[in-house]
Amino acid sequence: MRIRWSRLAPQLALTPALAVTLVGFVWAIGWTIYMSFTRSRRFPDYEIDPAGWLSQYQRLFDNDAWETSLRNLVVLAIGSALAIVLGFILAAMVEREEFGEGVFRTIFLYPLAVSLIVTGLVWRWMFNPSLGIEAFLHQLGWTSAQFNWLATPETAMYGIILASIWHGLGFYMALMLAGLKSINTEIWSAARIDGVGIWRLYTGVIIPMMKFTFLTCAILLSLGVVKAYDIVVAMTNGGPGTSTWTPAYFAINAYSTRSNIGFASAAAVIMLLITLAIFLPLVLITAWQARRREAAGT
Amino acid sequence: MSSQVAIPEKSVISATGRLLATRSRKRRIRGSSIAVFVFLCMCAAFVAIPLYVVIVTSFKPIEEITLGHIFALPVSWTITPWYKAWNSMCTGLSCDGIKTGFFTSLEILFPSLILSIALSSVTGYALALWNVRWAGTFLFVLFICAFVPFQIIMIPLILVIANLGLFGTVWGIAIVHAILTMPLLTLIFRNFYKDIPRELINAAIMDSGSFWLIFRKIILPMSANIMVVVLILMITTVWNDYLVGLTFGGISAEPMTVILANAVVTSRGEVIHNVNMAAAIITAIPPLVVYFALGRFFVQGITAGAIKG
Repeated sequence: MRIRWSRLAPQLALTPALAVTLVGFVWAIGWTIYMSFTRSRRFPDYEIDPAGWLSQYQRLFDNDAWETSLRNLVVLAIGSALAIVLGFILAAMVEREEFGEGVFRTIFLYPLAVSLIVTGLVWRWMFNPSLGIEAFLHQLGWTSAQFNWLATPETAMYGIILASIWHGLGFYMALMLAGLKSINTEIWSAARIDGVGIWRLYTGVIIPMMKFTFLTCAILLSLGVVKAYDIVVAMTNGGPGTSTWTPAYFAINAYSTRSNIGFASAAAVIMLLITLAIFLPLVLITAWQARRREAAGT
Repeated sequence: MSSQVAIPEKSVISATGRLLATRSRKRRIRGSSIAVFVFLCMCAAFVAIPLYVVIVTSFKPIEEITLGHIFALPVSWTITPWYKAWNSMCTGLSCDGIKTGFFTSLEILFPSLILSIALSSVTGYALALWNVRWAGTFLFVLFICAFVPFQIIMIPLILVIANLGLFGTVWGIAIVHAILTMPLLTLIFRNFYKDIPRELINAAIMDSGSFWLIFRKIILPMSANIMVVVLILMITTVWNDYLVGLTFGGISAEPMTVILANAVVTSRGEVIHNVNMAAAIITAIPPLVVYFALGRFFVQGITAGAIKG
């Protein structure tokens, strides 16, 4: 009797998590996908018009703001990739130099604990033309300095990128530090005995060895970019005009401001597709690493 | 490959090699260390200056701010902005300051922590140490769910929460947080528990330990480390969350971040910079305290949240 029960208990213990997964994720995702094919507006409408079931997607891709959102997604991804590069450089420097590792790590990592809303507000303040950095530069005598990036559509995205880099730099540095620390110490001394220069050592040996850390960072960064919403709200609230909209912002806006469930769902489905496209490499890497670990274990 | 082959030969001289290496390394550090140190300091300044500016601004009277000396220390220090931010800052319709948001955030935080940690630790334990059918498939599904964008499940979840009568309550928000964080936390717990030796569990089962008894008596006491990591991850996630609070809080349960964003971004009233900055710091203080108090665990928590999947 007791053995039977001990077999049943774990299955029973899983039911809440199973229910959450089925309702909160599987059903919810299916519902949203279904809704994107309907003409639902303020309230869900479960009827699919066989002739126009793609109409929400047609409207979506005819929408100029959506086009801007997709372009901003790419710009933001490329721009924030600087955080990975800089994160690696900082990690390599902090790791090599004995002095002040703890201090530097504490400083670089604290923005992670700050919410993106606060981050956005802080940088909004720095970008303030009459009271922020621009005013400071003008007072120094550099009167042609332009730091009012958030006010013009062409540069507003760069302001958001700068704030994102500020927020994420420490995170990528921490991942890179973990990657660097896992490298066999023999390699450092072997390289030194062989007289390999530092530059050659990093470009020729260390970076290729850390390619999976880099790939993980790149994927995490892209997933984060797809979700970029808070920082946009806090810095520009989408403006000027629609110049800093992102797909995440677009989807929320279609639901909360335009009250259009079908339209918002279509945008969300495209977000999901983008995420899956980014995500597939991560699945493959994890599977590959697991197999490698098993092979190393046996 | 080639280095792996070369290492056995060199391991003999690696002791002397390392001695030589450290000596030459020391010399090299002298040469380039100033440049490296300056570069590190510049980056550190880039990261640290915004915090400094915000703190300084929040202590300045408004007349000093209008001068535009953003990096200068206050000439006459004042705590009025902090007082105003806490008590009388205008956020949307009311002018009660952000203290209501602070308490709402606390009310959201505790149920979220309890719900999500209870749910995921038990699930992770069952998946890691017991023979459960379809465990591999379930883990894979959780792995995917952990990265799904929130927008794809937002609208149906709003309908469910509204039907349960929980829309606009702290419990509604807490449940959504528990749902959203369950996949990732389960994976973290499972990865931690799977390293517990099987013999220990087998012995416990032989000793007539049941599923729950083993969890309570053996597993939970071993989980102190992972609990701290998960707590830090959850506190920062829930406290810093904006989107869930915005979409599920309605107007009756707005967490601090939503109130702050309302006050600064969307309100059309007069902008009082020093009060805004004080409000921003007050919002950021709780996770920052956690960070500075438990830095080592914090790094673990963040990186566990990122890659342990």
